Amino acid sequence: MEYNILDSIDLNDKSIYKSFTDRYFSKRYILNVDGIENNDIMLMFHSNRITLLCLAPSHFFFKNPDKYNLNFTIGKVDRLSNLVKGKGKKGGQMLTPKSTICKVEWNDGTSFDIPCGMKGTLIEINENLVNNPEILREQPDSDGFIAIMLSSIANSEATKNELLNHEEYLKRVNCSI
Amino acid sequence: MDQKAIYKFCKSLGCCEACCLRYIGIKHPNAYENSKNYVTKFREENDLEPISTDKNMTIDVSAHTSEKNGASISSNVRNSDEICDKSIDTKESITNKGSTEVDTAVLDSNDSVSPPHKKRKLNVCVSCLGVLQEDNWQECYQMVKEILDKKGYECNTFACALSAPIATLLREKAVTLHLVDEFPQYDAKVLTPLKEAWKWSFGVKLGAYINKILDSGAISPLLITVNIDYVDELQELEILKTVSPQLFAERSKQKRRFVTEFTRRSVEQALELATLWSLSAADALRAPHSRAACVGAACAHAPIFLAGRYIKLSRNLPQSPWILEGRRVLPSSVQEIIFGPLTKCYKFDPEDADRRFKFIAAGREDVDVRCLGDGRPFAIEISDPTRQLTAEEMKEVCEEISNGGEVIVKEMSPISKEDLVQLKKGEETKSKTYEALCIKLSHSKFDEDHNAPIRVTQEDIDRINSYTNTTSKEVKIALQQKTPIRVLHRRPLLTRSRDILELTATLIPEHPQLFALRLRTSAGTYVKEWAHGELGRSAPALAAALRARADLLALDVRAVHLAWPPARRAPPAPRAPPPTTS
Repeated sequence: MEYNILDSIDLNDKSIYKSFTDRYFSKRYILNVDGIENNDIMLMFHSNRITLLCLAPSHFFFKNPDKYNLNFTIGKVDRLSNLVKGKGKKGGQMLTPKSTICKVEWNDGTSFDIPCGMKGTLIEINENLVNNPEILREQPDSDGFIAIMLSSIANSEATKNELLNHEEYLKRVNCSI
Repeated sequence: MDQKAIYKFCKSLGCCEACCLRYIGIKHPNAYENSKNYVTKFREENDLEPISTDKNMTIDVSAHTSEKNGASISSNVRNSDEICDKSIDTKESITNKGSTEVDTAVLDSNDSVSPPHKKRKLNVCVSCLGVLQEDNWQECYQMVKEILDKKGYECNTFACALSAPIATLLREKAVTLHLVDEFPQYDAKVLTPLKEAWKWSFGVKLGAYINKILDSGAISPLLITVNIDYVDELQELEILKTVSPQLFAERSKQKRRFVTEFTRRSVEQALELATLWSLSAADALRAPHSRAACVGAACAHAPIFLAGRYIKLSRNLPQSPWILEGRRVLPSSVQEIIFGPLTKCYKFDPEDADRRFKFIAAGREDVDVRCLGDGRPFAIEISDPTRQLTAEEMKEVCEEISNGGEVIVKEMSPISKEDLVQLKKGEETKSKTYEALCIKLSHSKFDEDHNAPIRVTQEDIDRINSYTNTTSKEVKIALQQKTPIRVLHRRPLLTRSRDILELTATLIPEHPQLFALRLRTSAGTYVKEWAHGELGRSAPALAAALRARADLLALDVRAVHLAWPPARRAPPAPRAPPPTTS
């Protein structure tokens, strides 16, 4: 008996065409972080409490077409030297909502910080940003993610519930425009 | 070595016949099966001990043959004991410690069969505490038989194991020291272990009672364990604190580490230092007040293993039950579908089945991945089974599994535990062939009209088919894959090197934006992550070969390249069941 792969799924079902991030993650938003207008970040929560840090589409970063560098050295801490060991991810840098993950340094000498927005452990910095910083601008909600974080189930759930979901975010952003 | 002298000496200490044989160093199993007959050869020919006369032999025989007639046995045994005791009392200068005067009142409460006597002698061996003495065995037989009747094993052989009172170690040491003292050239190493002597005597007779053949534990899968306890054990072992005070002082300091004061190990350690003087001073060979009694028996059948391959036709079926926070996410699983008919076959209740069956597979596919072709190799471990399934039953089990329509198992066969190694090794070393249905998501720079609908071109296909990033002949694409995010919460973050060994893309004419891939990968390759690139965490991705963004819509395992089940060897010929006891 032949089991044709084409017959095994419903090609008219739109959900099979969802992007990788839409398939597995719920998006949440934090607006005007630190009181800075449009300093907007997006957290993508996987059902297994892994969280991705991204810039929200409404971030002022996207309005500036200038060249930029990304700096992962925050004070004395080098985010790129973060190392986690074993299943328990021991040794990852501890993060609070205000912790800066990365600095965006514009060519004109000005800069801004990207905060992580939640309490947790830093698992991984997107290393592709180091050699290829443009992907932050080009694919901010996929390959241009900034970091992977992990927090306790309780904290992950609580943070997820108190933040703006996608619909609420769209409403807020459209109002403010 | 004068065996007769050893026999006589041991007897004088209060040993039973079987223990005398043990100290002499007799290793023939037959000797223990009927020790009372066998010991006659160690008695002096001119010895006038009544026990060696023909008259006593007949008593012994009658004790064996009329086991069910409790009253007659007990009176027979008592007669011979009394005679034996008297003879020792008169003949030996060493006081006989093997017999104790017991008030009838005490005895009557234990043994209502015995007729009232003013005084009677209870003859318990000072060494084995009765473990090797037949009058103790009937209750053991019954205890074992009760369990066997309940469990209903079909196996017609058995092995037996003894958990003997630790006090026997102490007493063995004391007897040995006495022997070395009496016969300076006596070698303590000749001692036949209590367990062996017990197997050769008790074990053989148990076999007749339960209608199974005694065999070694290495051969028979059915193990019967008998627990024998001695009431005065703790009290007697206290002696060791005077023999080896330091050891027990240290152990009591580390209460957490040594929860129990007297373990087989601690007693053995303490006895290493014991001297005849110290043990005699503590009266280590004091006459036992009671015999060690059978307090429990356990029967367990070694696990059996069944091997097969499963084909999974559903994209909504996990391999093992998917339970999240105590609630089922999906109603069934491959494992449960396979266990169902087996549970019926063995007549296990569902909870029992959960404990008794263990599902072992050569890897697993995701819930939404089908497993086609010959299927994925698996094995089932059945612990404490009552029997092996017949070929016919296994065929029926397979049919019932397959009738459900989600999982197909064509055949199952029994395998050995050693065969499992191949299954697990296969998971780590064997390659797998997949079929993937993919979609092109963006125009490639080679597409002429970027406003036209996205279509997969023959050039795209050619580009995928000719893509390589290695010079190796065996490896087409060498991948670096970080631990996928979907499992990152429970696995360490690592970058793994994996290989795509073969890759062929084909167009799907009726769906111009889709294409099919057939690929063979090394074990442990994350195919889905390769297809979508997982945010750049798996590289190079399919997109690198296609030169456009791509994703995977459906995935099938087409082959798990592992020879399984292992080639069948001729099974050992089944043993004939023993004749039934009359």
